[in-house]
Amino acid sequence: MRVLGKKRRARSYLTALTVAALAATAGTAATVSAGASSGGTVTVGESTTLSGSIAELGQTGLQGVQFAINAINAHGGLLGKHINVVSADDAATPATGASNARNFILNDHAVAMFGPIVSSVASAEEPVVTQYKVPIFFYISNDIALLTKDYTPYAFQVVPNTVMEPRAAADYLAHMVGKKKITIGTFAPNYSFGTSTVAGFIQALKDLHVNYKLVNQQFPPLEATNIAPYLSALVAAHPEYVFNAQFGGDLVTFSKQAAQYGFFKHTKVIAMYSRYPLQSLGAGAPAGAIGFDRAPFWALGKTGMNGTGMAAFINSFKAKYHQYPSAWAIMGYSAVQTWAYGVKKAGTFDGTKVSAALSGANVPTIRGTLNLRACDHQANVPEYVGTVSAKPSAQYHLRLWDSVFVAQAKDIMLTCAQSKALRG
Amino acid sequence: MARTAPNDAAVAAVLGVPASAATGSLASRVGRAAALVAFVALVVVLGLTLAPANALELQYAVSLTLFAVATNLILGFGGLVSFGQGIFYGVGAYTVALGWMHQSLNFTEAMVLAPFFGAVAAIPLGMLALRTRRLYFSLLTLTMSQLAYVIAENQTNLTGGTNGVFGAMVPTWLLDPHTSFLFTAAIVAVAIAILWKVVHSPFGLVLRAIRDNRERVEALGVNVYAHELAAFVISAFFCSLAGSLFVVYSQSSYPEILNWTASGVPVFMAVIGGMYSFFGPVVGAFVYEFASHYLIEYTQDWQLVIGAVLLAIVLLRPDGLAGSLGSLRAWLRRRRPVEQATVAAAPENAEGTP
Amino acid sequence: MARFLTETIGTLSDAGSLFVVAAGLTLVFGAMRVINLAHGTFYMYGAFVVTTVAGTASGLRFWVAVVVAALVVAVLGAIVQLGVVRFVVGKEPLTQLVATFAVLYILADVALHLWGSGARSVSAPLGVSGTFTLAGAYLPVYDLVIIGTAVLVGLVLWLLLSHTSLGWMIRAAVDDPELLQSGGVNLRRLHLAVFATGALLAALAGAIVTPQISVAPGMDQSIIVSSLLVVVIGGLGSVVGTAFAALIIGIADTVGTLVDPTWASTFMYFAVILVLVVRPWGLFGTPER
Repeated sequence: MRVLGKKRRARSYLTALTVAALAATAGTAATVSAGASSGGTVTVGESTTLSGSIAELGQTGLQGVQFAINAINAHGGLLGKHINVVSADDAATPATGASNARNFILNDHAVAMFGPIVSSVASAEEPVVTQYKVPIFFYISNDIALLTKDYTPYAFQVVPNTVMEPRAAADYLAHMVGKKKITIGTFAPNYSFGTSTVAGFIQALKDLHVNYKLVNQQFPPLEATNIAPYLSALVAAHPEYVFNAQFGGDLVTFSKQAAQYGFFKHTKVIAMYSRYPLQSLGAGAPAGAIGFDRAPFWALGKTGMNGTGMAAFINSFKAKYHQYPSAWAIMGYSAVQTWAYGVKKAGTFDGTKVSAALSGANVPTIRGTLNLRACDHQANVPEYVGTVSAKPSAQYHLRLWDSVFVAQAKDIMLTCAQSKALRG
Repeated sequence: MARTAPNDAAVAAVLGVPASAATGSLASRVGRAAALVAFVALVVVLGLTLAPANALELQYAVSLTLFAVATNLILGFGGLVSFGQGIFYGVGAYTVALGWMHQSLNFTEAMVLAPFFGAVAAIPLGMLALRTRRLYFSLLTLTMSQLAYVIAENQTNLTGGTNGVFGAMVPTWLLDPHTSFLFTAAIVAVAIAILWKVVHSPFGLVLRAIRDNRERVEALGVNVYAHELAAFVISAFFCSLAGSLFVVYSQSSYPEILNWTASGVPVFMAVIGGMYSFFGPVVGAFVYEFASHYLIEYTQDWQLVIGAVLLAIVLLRPDGLAGSLGSLRAWLRRRRPVEQATVAAAPENAEGTP
Repeated sequence: MARFLTETIGTLSDAGSLFVVAAGLTLVFGAMRVINLAHGTFYMYGAFVVTTVAGTASGLRFWVAVVVAALVVAVLGAIVQLGVVRFVVGKEPLTQLVATFAVLYILADVALHLWGSGARSVSAPLGVSGTFTLAGAYLPVYDLVIIGTAVLVGLVLWLLLSHTSLGWMIRAAVDDPELLQSGGVNLRRLHLAVFATGALLAALAGAIVTPQISVAPGMDQSIIVSSLLVVVIGGLGSVVGTAFAALIIGIADTVGTLVDPTWASTFMYFAVILVLVVRPWGLFGTPER
């Protein structure tokens, strides 16, 4: 029943505006700051999803952000100021995200925002930060539209976008299947990110001349409680390969349900099998499936995972939280470094000046030096692909990937001309 | 208004409904007007002096009072329990947002057209919905609300889908919180004044008569269906206006404003404030919005608190806070010398209590 | 053929769980003329209680958890009946809708305290967690558990309502309460029993589907809408109608998805609007006098 699987949170628009307090339930209290001007403190804000099935991304991402801020504060702050983080839950709802952003900027005088998980929320926050001239750093949400159709000089993206990521997965697949004719299904959450990333994957298959036939496409709601009807339609179509753009708990649920159909025996699923889904699925992780990830800790030392301090960050994160950092934590850390670099370069917290300073800049981060190209503010970050292994890794004692393929940024990014053409 | 054989004023006279609803002595009427003016003045002063973020919240609450009063035209005065007014609120909001997104209407055009679009949408929906009564009317309007929600969510090319529409759709001169507050307050004041006129016109009196005794009014040759449809359309007109003001506040429109819980909100506001009183829903809107917005700074349990308030009111004080105010006044009066001891309960008595 | 089977079993399983929830809603309406908007809350509580009791164990403990969930929520239903619903029986629909919606809000908040805002999941118990093959189709064994439960619930309700004196009393409770009371039946106790049973059915549905869903806040509001649609199409108060309506909605949804996914989810709403306008008492209901 589609209605059964409808968006988990059918909150009223009124309540959506007030969900911020739920952050406390999720273990991250929204701290109220005295504001930018008082007592040598400046505030940055992060509205992200801290509840529901994808909360792991928001929680660990926020840990990464907090980690980086703590490091800055431990070294005397930024321009002599102590940095304070305010955070709130957006419940994966665009309206709540926009409202949180506005509250952080108006009430807490936040001078920078760090991005949400969900691209639709990110897109709702963009006009708000533009109105108040505050820079925003997307490190999880990655819809290409955020930097093209919705372009604003105040937005920066340090995560592979919805052209880059599926292109990397398609490269890997093309290499694997060669000239063979294959059938393909897709499964993605029904909002901008899902449709955009699936479109990116199909386009990449075309560009790579893969001989494929699309047999089924399903778009269940984000955080659907019941995906059974979508899944049975996908299973019934018997695709040989499935590109799945779900993430976090949604991907875990998919994998468990699909296993009940014996799906993985005959179908190779290509999905974001990153640390959390693999760890949650444990022995049930589908060996042989193709995983992709934006900053897997087990790719340490490879391009994009080899900046100064990466190994130290992984170790101290593990020491503090008793688990390896997610890609979200790693990217969150680098997002803060990016902002801090811009502040130092501009010599001020002023949003317009910081944004201008960062446009086209080469920023040293734990992931290596990131170039935020001037034309659309996309960082030249790689994407990582691999095959889910059958046994736990000897080094990390977790079911991870057999090997790591690095899709270099230059091979998967749009050109500036292509990017600008999408601006419309 | 409607193609009725007897005109509304005559019907009202036959039914013995007083032509003017402003009951009570001159002194109490003056007192009431003074209280109203003081209240409006307080809201305006607050709106202009509060910090931007709080002024925005107040602006939102003010726009919700219109939503609640407009819904209450059919709820409290028409006896029609609609869980579908969110549709018209959404039509208003989406008119402005989509006008901007598709570059088909500029802001002013969209603001002017929004209420008319709502009214036009209400004609076929009302014609269908009013074929049913009581519980079935509620369920049918609830279903319509969900249908509108699902359409807004899935017709991505037209509506922006689950993402909703967010962007710079409000002109820059309206971005300052104090300006947009004044803009909203002025429109809401005019709209509520018009609704007051409607409620206290012969048409409004007949509407109330239908609510109280449908068969008797029908027997007088009144076209009940036409009256209810007219009320439904007028309510939709002002719900849409409130929806367009939501865009002024939020600079966005999204599917959730159309679903059944969103449609329930103005009903709950009217119930909290008192649906048999014209200004009851205004009280309810302020209570509901401030409860859900500010309560959470002190407790996470705003749902629990609002639920408890709703429950207490519906079980103990069906005439809402405004009704309670009336009873309180009556109780105070009872403690004075005996002659004024005649006190009746709502609905009639609570009428017109601010 | 394989494709048809996969879709059919999936549809039946969904329709089955929806039937069990909606049966409770329609049973309560049939006996008390109350639409309980907090009915979906009992479904959600059923699911949450299972996640607590079953934990990560996936053997016998799961079945124990299902029984515990149904019973615990039946008690919760009795409390709601005694504390709230009792006072709104026979009142205006508005009063009933607002009062039961208030219960929905309150219990949603309580659930946040008890189980948090994250999503929880439970694995299907061993023995019914695997796959079976039929005519080349791979199908989840667990779907059969759900379908079986629905059939069982349907049969028990049918026997109860049409072949026992309790069934007669439930029907008479609305048609002729005076006669019933003069016959020595305690109407209050009858209402209590019916309401608790309704809650039990919702919880049973919520409990039994846990291995196939992720359990999270908000389930209450989404399931109540689908169950309302089902009981309206079937006819308020009719259990047989509810069974048919659950199937109709399941099939309409599956077919709709094949025809045009962007409009699929609107089909059932159009169906309900049509039914309410043309035949407000539903396919199997009887017009109110």
